[in-house]
Amino acid sequence: MIKTERVLHLKSCRGRKVRVVREHYLRERVPCYSALLTCTIYGKVLPGDLTHYVVPDVGVVVDYLEVLEVRELQGIVFTQTACQALQHAKGRRQYNRLRNLLKDPRHDCVLFTNEFQEYSYCPREKGESQDQWQTRCVYSAAVWYYNHLAGMKDVVMITEDREAVAQYGSLNSGVYVISDFLLNFWPELQAAHELYSSVSLALQEKESEVSEREYAEHLPAEVLEAGIKSGRYIQGTLNISKHRAHSESDLSWGVLVSGAKNRNRAVHGDVVAVELLPRSEWRGKDTALTEGRGEEAGGEDGGRKPMPTGRVVGVLQRNWRDYVVTFPPREGPPPQSRNSQRILAVPWDHRIPKIRISTQQADALQDHRVVVRIDSWESTSLYPNGHSVRVLGRAGELETEVQTVLIENCIHVPPFSDAQLKEMPVNCPERPWAVDPAQVAQRRDLRDSHLVFSIDPPGCEDVDDALSVRSLAGGARLELGVHIADVTHFVAEGSLTDLEARTRATTYYLADRRYDMLPAVLSADLCSLLGGVDRYAMSVMWELDAQTLSVVRVWYGRTLIRSSYQLHYQLAQALLDGEPAEVPELAGLGSEERGGELARLTGALETLTRVARNLRAQRNRGGALELEGVEVRAQLDEERNITALVPRQPLEVHETVAECMIYANHWVARKIQESFPHQALLRRHPPPRQEFFSQLVDTAAARGFSVDTRTNKALADSLDRAEDPRDPLVNRLLRIMATTAMSQALYFSTGLQAQDQFYHYGLALDRYTHFTSPIRRYADILVHRLLAAAIAVDRGSDPGGAVASNKELEETARHINTKNRAAQRAQKSSTELFQCLYFKDRDPQSDQRCVADAVVYSIRDNGVLVFVPEYGVKGPVYMKNREGEVAAVGQDGRCTWQSGAVQRHSDRITTTSGCGSATFRLFDHITVRISVRSTHCHADALVLDLVVNGPHRRAAEPSAPPPRSQGRSSQLVREVVRQAEEASQQAQEKEARRPELSREEREFSQTKTPNLYSLLEEVRELALLDPDGVSRLCASTA
Amino acid sequence: MAGLELLSDQGYRLDGRKATELRKVQARMGVFAQADGSAYLEQGNTKALAVVYGPHEVRGARSRSRHDRAMINCQYSMATFSTAERKRRPHGDRKSTEMSLHLKQTFEAAVMTQLYPRSQIDIFVKILQSDGGNYSVCVNAATLAMIDAGIPMRDYVCACTVGFVDETPLADLCYAEEGGGVSSLALALLPRGGQIALLQMDARLHQDHLEALMEAAMTACKGVSKVLDEVVRLHLQEVSVLSAE
Repeated sequence: MIKTERVLHLKSCRGRKVRVVREHYLRERVPCYSALLTCTIYGKVLPGDLTHYVVPDVGVVVDYLEVLEVRELQGIVFTQTACQALQHAKGRRQYNRLRNLLKDPRHDCVLFTNEFQEYSYCPREKGESQDQWQTRCVYSAAVWYYNHLAGMKDVVMITEDREAVAQYGSLNSGVYVISDFLLNFWPELQAAHELYSSVSLALQEKESEVSEREYAEHLPAEVLEAGIKSGRYIQGTLNISKHRAHSESDLSWGVLVSGAKNRNRAVHGDVVAVELLPRSEWRGKDTALTEGRGEEAGGEDGGRKPMPTGRVVGVLQRNWRDYVVTFPPREGPPPQSRNSQRILAVPWDHRIPKIRISTQQADALQDHRVVVRIDSWESTSLYPNGHSVRVLGRAGELETEVQTVLIENCIHVPPFSDAQLKEMPVNCPERPWAVDPAQVAQRRDLRDSHLVFSIDPPGCEDVDDALSVRSLAGGARLELGVHIADVTHFVAEGSLTDLEARTRATTYYLADRRYDMLPAVLSADLCSLLGGVDRYAMSVMWELDAQTLSVVRVWYGRTLIRSSYQLHYQLAQALLDGEPAEVPELAGLGSEERGGELARLTGALETLTRVARNLRAQRNRGGALELEGVEVRAQLDEERNITALVPRQPLEVHETVAECMIYANHWVARKIQESFPHQALLRRHPPPRQEFFSQLVDTAAARGFSVDTRTNKALADSLDRAEDPRDPLVNRLLRIMATTAMSQALYFSTGLQAQDQFYHYGLALDRYTHFTSPIRRYADILVHRLLAAAIAVDRGSDPGGAVASNKELEETARHINTKNRAAQRAQKSSTELFQCLYFKDRDPQSDQRCVADAVVYSIRDNGVLVFVPEYGVKGPVYMKNREGEVAAVGQDGRCTWQSGAVQRHSDRITTTSGCGSATFRLFDHITVRISVRSTHCHADALVLDLVVNGPHRRAAEPSAPPPRSQGRSSQLVREVVRQAEEASQQAQEKEARRPELSREEREFSQTKTPNLYSLLEEVRELALLDPDGVSRLCASTA
Repeated sequence: MAGLELLSDQGYRLDGRKATELRKVQARMGVFAQADGSAYLEQGNTKALAVVYGPHEVRGARSRSRHDRAMINCQYSMATFSTAERKRRPHGDRKSTEMSLHLKQTFEAAVMTQLYPRSQIDIFVKILQSDGGNYSVCVNAATLAMIDAGIPMRDYVCACTVGFVDETPLADLCYAEEGGGVSSLALALLPRGGQIALLQMDARLHQDHLEALMEAAMTACKGVSKVLDEVVRLHLQEVSVLSAE
């Protein structure tokens, strides 16, 4: 190593210039990461079969990183100089993006640490500007690369700097210096070209812009940091209110930031520093209802409590993502010139400000939804500048809207690539997949010794769990087994499939389709524990005392099973109840034989039910557990109403299966936590914050119920008591509110939490994890690997590859948590989308289906919030419209708009007008008309209008049968899908020559004709097996 | 600057070293004729001058003398020009006093003080340029000065700072790394026996990582001792050549 010195001039903390000397060590051997040479030790390498390697210079990396991210561009060598310049110029976020790019094995790019290489390092000379120096560094790195590879490969340095081309292009050192790289080498790569031109337009725009200042400048980072430390500024994440995006936003710490000026260019989700305003300028939050955006809230009223108010002085971290915007329709004549125009596009998300985009395709893109990225937001500009990335399609089309939902939730699900599919085992009629004898030797063979069966919804394709139960030692012991598909056997850690699954983190269920986490050959075939075939499994088996049912011994391990029966819930329940049932597996047997087998199966089911009941009782005794039981059922109720997927009365066998799964999860959690105390992936459900219950307590008090929220047990008991015999909806609404107050359950790594934080509030278990659904959750795959490693450690052998460290695991856990949340939000928005589509085609005035019963559950200044049980819709109902008229109630209860006044009390709202006054109390039933308010740029929304102050006559009948409601809602989705399909078919027939539709179908929907029934059933199963998943789901939906 | 990247994904540190690599160490012994022993040592850009007087009679307060061993007196100072911004006070401030105390403790553990009862050994160390790891550079320089003075010691005392970043121990921290929010640990070791003369850590560190960090510190100290040994041998050669003439 050679030591040199580098002199830097930095600014000291007091703002003075300081000369800093830093050491700089150079070495001769720096890995080049090329497959051509063997000097690479580890990590990913550039393939040797490319025509050339590309070395982008600093300017290209800083400005056009997005273009370089295009996967088709291969053999990119990033230099250290460029990386550091990127970090310096664009900040940590962009830099991390580059780092992820470098780590991602799907991209062919490497980092060359040119500044630590003896021959490629060039010290900065006196009088040389930074840009010149950087270009020289990159050039000499490129030259080194060329010489290092001994001329075996051409090296191309790309730059946007004409001077650099002139200066270095003529030097004859084997390296080509060019500027129009894309044009010359990739003329056919359309997407990259479009991205390139949109980025460069945005850049030009930025340069040409000079105007007055619209916002205050942000303070420099050092000042902010010092201010935050001294307490002068408050740091927090800016959270813009969905309903009043133009005026209100608050920080995670309860500080209000009001108005765009005070918000000072911060965008929803940014981490900002806020300075508090003087107390005299503090304001309160509006409690009046407003319709979407752009509307002034009702006049100032004294009832608002002022809260700390501040203004943003600086942004610590931008959290910009890809946004979907809609191009506005053209107004006025088209411009003569073909030059680019600046367009203000409206984001789909209300909370995001309009984005200015310069584009040449403004005409073509009218009314289209487009993915854009924000580039910058100068203090001179009223709106941020951005560039377009990708066109989704015309607004209002089903496919466009679904894609919008995905992108707005940061979900990216490309079809599985060939390379990924190549890793998969083959199972086709010509080459059937068979059990590997080597595996048979390693695994415990349960094929002959155990009666294994699975219970799932009918038509289920991906069976990831199976059960077994038998008696041992002459009946003194019971052996209960839970067998989970051994996905990790097929998905090796670090393989492409694994990476893809990690990126997706979960299977995404939308209202009409599903995006799988694993390729279909695994999820529906080889990993699915189908009946009558040999499958690999990961098993947990308990030996229980037959009398007390206490655990004597637990065995974990890999097994080989053959499921004898693939039952479905109704069938299993029928067998349990002793009703005659047809078991398809036994159809071929003689009657005597069949009777014997049937008795064996029924016996097993009965034992299982007994064990599950006991487990449940044990859990109830073990702590304050009553809550989650009821809670689960309540959530199921809630779930059914929102997506109409779960029946009201779950069969007992549902609970039996769920209980076994919870038990398995719990025991696996114990095992991995004991084996890896600092790096096990568990799942915790923190107790909710008490202040979130205030709405619940207040609302319940309006009906005279007291709710005790101190512990989960107390809460459950008081919810049980809060039962109004006249109106079952009261209890349901209270339960929904309780669910809303719950915090979300999270995955975490045990090294980062104290042990008393592991508690699962919902299930009342001290440790819990997810183990039972590896086919559709990545967390389960991780847990499987941990369990396998734990078993290996027990045996005394090497755990087979290092277990992920605490830090890595926590990072992955955070990623999975984010993705899960995104999946729930996407599911919710897609459901809402379908609700709107359903009502869109109905005429609200004439169609009976648009009139429904609703219950008031919250009172606001100018209206009430209601819940429509029939459709599972929640929304505001206005008592006072924009003209200042109020809803007056006539003699027959019919409502009309008249001028009058609204008065709000804590538990009721009164409207007074010419024809008397009307009062709306909490839990009153009213009748509303549902219509759709179409907006051009945003998602459509449902509007509820007051029709009658009183229960809807249909709902007044006592027998509002739940099945009908369920049927109605699922029928809702089905009908919309059918309509959309018809529409697309018509479009196809009309434009038979246009191949786009089928192409899009290939690209976006992985299952071409979604079998809706099986999809819904799967979601239902998901909800059943994972009670706390439902609680999260409800927490987010509610 | 919210957090420099101290260890890149490729495993390089800010100055191009790998995690376990030390800075370049250069040293010379016997730089002053007046003193009994002296040495100059550079470790990267940290430069220190150590001077040893003694053993001699206890000066000043007689009461400080010990009847069974020698007393060690240390003074640490930093040149006013040693840091990027000029220092006001070369010695006597809190930090210097603490450092002096640490040096004293270190050498009390290493010098065979029982050979010189009722006497005193003075060690003066001055940092000429500071670039991280001041304590360890002082210890290393003082060791050489001690050897130059011919004072018997149990072994070389070698010191090194190590830090912990991204689950990896970094050896021999430079100034930028010390300031970058690393939990660092300073270790003075008698390498042959593996005895610890002084161990100092002010930052928080998870207990599980301490062992790995100690391990790295010991390895680093042993590396330093090799270099010091070479310096001493070279010096001896020169001296013997001179005296032979």
